[in-house]
Amino acid sequence: MKFLCVPCDSPMKLQTVAPPERGSLSIVYSCPECGYEIAMLTNAYETQVVQSLGVRIGPDMGEGASASLAEGSAEAGKCPFTAMIPTEGEARPFDSAQGRPFDSAQGGPGQAGDPIAVRWTAAAEARLANIPSFVRPMARTGIERFARERGLFEVDEKILEAAREFFGM
Amino acid sequence: MKSYHDIVGDGGSRILEQVAEQRTRITDGLAGVRHLVAVGSGKGGVGKSTMTLHLAGALRARGLRIAILDADFNGPSQARMAGVQGATFVPGSHKVSLPRTSNGIAVFSMGSVIPESESLEFESAAEGESHTWRATREFSLLGEILGSFEWGALDLLMFDLPPGAERTVQYADFLGPRTSFLLVTIPSEVARGVVARSVAALSKAPNRLLGYVENMSGYYCRDCNAIKPLFSGPFDAAEGSTSGLGIPCLGTVPFDPELARHCDRGFPLAELPDTPVGRALDHVAQQLLESLT
Repeated sequence: MKFLCVPCDSPMKLQTVAPPERGSLSIVYSCPECGYEIAMLTNAYETQVVQSLGVRIGPDMGEGASASLAEGSAEAGKCPFTAMIPTEGEARPFDSAQGRPFDSAQGGPGQAGDPIAVRWTAAAEARLANIPSFVRPMARTGIERFARERGLFEVDEKILEAAREFFGM
Repeated sequence: MKSYHDIVGDGGSRILEQVAEQRTRITDGLAGVRHLVAVGSGKGGVGKSTMTLHLAGALRARGLRIAILDADFNGPSQARMAGVQGATFVPGSHKVSLPRTSNGIAVFSMGSVIPESESLEFESAAEGESHTWRATREFSLLGEILGSFEWGALDLLMFDLPPGAERTVQYADFLGPRTSFLLVTIPSEVARGVVARSVAALSKAPNRLLGYVENMSGYYCRDCNAIKPLFSGPFDAAEGSTSGLGIPCLGTVPFDPELARHCDRGFPLAELPDTPVGRALDHVAQQLLESLT
């Protein structure tokens, strides 16, 4: 979708995207010539259609645009629907694109029964952050279990490699 | 006044470019895969998943590098049948490693992610209107899986498709012309009719239609060591009659109750090679390879 400032005959530029509110996005465009601003307000169907494509709406982060859909979140650069994304481990319905907290019956992070917390090094955490969020909780749980079973309480890249080897990958 | 096509870009979000980048990630991720084969039917309950897994096993036994992507997100069965239900996905340096079966087949199935006690539900801004967006969402998920997991160097990546003739064509559209299709039917007129619709729909796509396999073509009685009739269908490929599907028959596979037990327990077919079913699957595997070359 594109917006044209009719008096200037100039394409409008996306300025800000507010986090979705009750399924609606507020996206502000402005004319670079006259500065006139408009807001596109989506209904829930329109929001969902874009969300289903797995794309983000917002100014290109690489261009240093001032507007952003959500601030300070690691997910902000990836998804325009950050406000819809509960934090990992929080109870929520399944969200295939954003992940589902691993079922407690199969073990989840931080649940009762985990006697000692397993720490992740920054490098290992970075690897985890790089995988699709819908498998992240179960990957975290499985690898922490793998580490604990070996008497280890820190996951680093060597443990990840060992886990790959162990699981036949 | 400028028209849509006079304006370069979309003002900021680069939606089309993002979609193109997704496609590039998929293409790059599958660059090491020699053949993409989708196992579909259109009809449910004909044994697509069983056929996919055991054909993969027969091909693996020939030394080929095989992976399965269970594309039936709403009714995933490969995790249980392949014995990777409790598997852990391990993040690699760039992509996610896939769990493997005991005989070395890499498997992705949503059954490894979602417990069987739960259904696949997507978070949505448009509650109660999933018919308007769900298919798009599922294909977006498929793209994410293809682009994020480590498929590596493979001889075959097999897709276990969900039922539905229209879904089969949607997968052809999404996966592109590189993907060849193998259809599964059973010797019943009802199944043949549905599969015929899939053949008709796929014939309009650029994808290769390799042929079909007639599954449940009789059942193997261990007591008699004989194949007995299971359906009294109007055609029987084993007897040389035609299915009327207009595509090659790559073989017939009888039903074996022991095989069904293996599937439920996640045991590989390797323990059943010297049976009529094992031999039939090996024959189909051979035919499949010949049709791909």
